[in-house]
Parts: sequence; C-alpha cells; structure tokens
Amino acid sequence: MPLTCNTLGGMYALTVFTPIMAHRLDEVRAFLRGLPPQSSPLQRLEMVHFARWVIVPDFVSAPSQPRPEHLPSPYLLFSATFDGTLDAFLDDLCDKLASEAETIWGCCTGAPAPACGAALKAYLKHNQIQTGLFFAAYPDASVTTVKRALETRSKAIAFAAQAQTMEVQALREAFIQEFAP
Amino acid sequence: MLRLKAGRTASLAASGTSVRNVDGEAVALTVFSTVRRWGLLELPLFFLFIRRGKNSLSTLRQLSFIHAARWSLVRRLPANGTQPVIRLRFPHLYFESNFNGGWEEYIDAFSYVLTLGMWGFWGSSYGFPRALPSGPFKQYIRDNEFDANHYYSAYPEATATVVLSALEIAPKVDALRGQVATMSAEQFHAAWQALLTDGQACL
Repeated sequence: MPLTCNTLGGMYALTVFTPIMAHRLDEVRAFLRGLPPQSSPLQRLEMVHFARWVIVPDFVSAPSQPRPEHLPSPYLLFSATFDGTLDAFLDDLCDKLASEAETIWGCCTGAPAPACGAALKAYLKHNQIQTGLFFAAYPDASVTTVKRALETRSKAIAFAAQAQTMEVQALREAFIQEFAP
Repeated sequence: MLRLKAGRTASLAASGTSVRNVDGEAVALTVFSTVRRWGLLELPLFFLFIRRGKNSLSTLRQLSFIHAARWSLVRRLPANGTQPVIRLRFPHLYFESNFNGGWEEYIDAFSYVLTLGMWGFWGSSYGFPRALPSGPFKQYIRDNEFDANHYYSAYPEATATVVLSALEIAPKVDALRGQVATMSAEQFHAAWQALLTDGQACL
C-alpha cells in the first residue's frame, strides 16, 4: 500500500504549492481578494466541492525548534476537493478558468508564459503535494448528486409542511404535481 | 446570518475566524506546522495505519461538522525556473479542513474527540502543546494558521449534517416518485407516512 493517497471514494484531494515572484505578490493578492465570493469563478468547475487559494508569506517557526526555516519566497497554495481524475480536473481548470488561471499562476516562478493550457497543467502537476491522509464525510457523492439531494430534501420538507392538512386523495395528486419528472 | 454580498452569506455560527475563510456555512482552516525529523517516519506510518484500519476513520465521522479534511507531509519544494529544488531542513505538516460551525467549537471537538489521535497527527510538530486542555492547542493552531485569500464551497448553504441527511432521504423520495403512479391514494398516503416516520431525522 502506498504511503500517500490523494483519493477517497470518488473524490480527489489536490494540493499545489507554487512560489510567487516577489515583485508580483501584491498583484496576485489583490486579484484573489477581488474575486467575488458570491460568484466565484470556481463555480464554473462543476466537479469541485471545495477549493481555496492561500498566500503563505513564510513558514511559522516554533520557538522550540532548533533553527527557524524560511520559504525562499512567498508561496501560493491552491487546494481543491473534486470528483473524478486529476487529468480531467486540470483540463477543466485550464479550459474554463483560463483567464483567472493565467493571471494567478502567471505571477508564480517557473510558470509557463502564458500560464495556460497543457503547459500550465504540467506546471501544476510538477508542484503537487501528495496527500498523506484524506477524509471526506460523503466520499461517493458527486457535486451533482449532493446538489440534487439538497434540492429534493428542501422540496420534501416544504411538501411535508403543506401535506399536514391535505386529504388522502389530494395528497397523492399534490405529490405528483410537486415531484413528477 | 451576516450578509456579505448578494446571494452568499457568512454564518454567524462560523464566528471566530476571518470572513475570508468562510463561504456560507462552510469554513476553511489552513495550517502548516514544523515537524521533528522523526515525524518523517511516524506520520506516514500513522496515515497508513488510519487508511488501513477498518474503523479508523469512524472517529473522524463522529465529528459530524467536517465535510472534508487532509494532511500532507512536505519534505521538499520542487525546482521552478531559476529556483533550485529545496530540501527542507524540517519537514512541514500541511493540514486543511472544510467544516461548518464555530472555529472555537471545531478545535474543542477535535481536542476532546480525537485526544489520542491528535498526538498521532501533531505530536511530532514543534510547539504542539497536547490536545487537552484545548486552550493552548487553539492558540497553537491560531499561531500556525493562514487565512484564505479566496475560498469556495459548491453548496455553501449546507452543513455537513444537512448534506448527509439529504443523501439519505433523497433516494427514498425518488423511490416514492417512481412508485406513485401505480399506487392508490390510500397506498400513497401510507407510504408517505412511512417515509416521514423513517426519515424524520433527515428532514
């Protein structure tokens, strides 16, 4: 059994850690902060459950460690929990997030210029951190399955409230009207 | 609920962390800690032990507010452009979680439920103060935490418990939907009542 494992059920845990060019740190920080939370570009990646970009200026050194350790430059951490395979996800990212990806990883050392397409995919794979342990509460449920289940549950709750006062005959008809495909 | 911008909100229940770590009910936790050299051996074996154990992840499932979490050991940074490969003097442990609820309550629950397991995860990290009491551990996490610059959840309105409930009840509703056309009104009424009784914890 391998010592690292990026998958659990149908989910994949991707972590990418890339060095940021010092003179472009403010640019990438401003861009990420400007991404609208109410309409994140990550919404375009339908297989993504959760994702984040985090700028890590430097490692934190504990007072008890023998010597401090510093990163050679600020780093950009990107992580995503998604359905399916890494190749399919990165292809999707490079396609549907092309503009944002080019701006974000274009600020990183060693990234292709322009940061897009197959070259960006290779760069992200090159800087992947393998996952030691991955936990997911519902590893076999895709984003589509989760969203659909949440919608069904909401409809069932609303219907249950309405149904309390319905006659037997009306209940069946109302259910068909509400839930019929 | 604290409204951020139209459509998405940050839950007041998620107080105790930066608003940038929050998307609706979902909260991001991002932590790097410095690991003693013996952690290079202990952590991979501990991860392997948990992955191989049939019930090892069940304790994490008890923490019903976690959607997903991961731990990774970073030993080297690959070469990029003019920057050569860097072998870190100390390995670093990366931990991230996607959870719901309050930050303080989350760390408290981690400490109380995973007390022994916590040593397995962070015992090799410099400065780890033990899981209990939880106060020093919370400070340790705060000291080593990084705020997200952008965080995204595909279903920000749902807690992990709600997702699990929905995944349990939806197939039952779907099954009833498939059968309703062949049922009399009385049969459907009985089936609906049975669904409500059976699935009431999910609604």
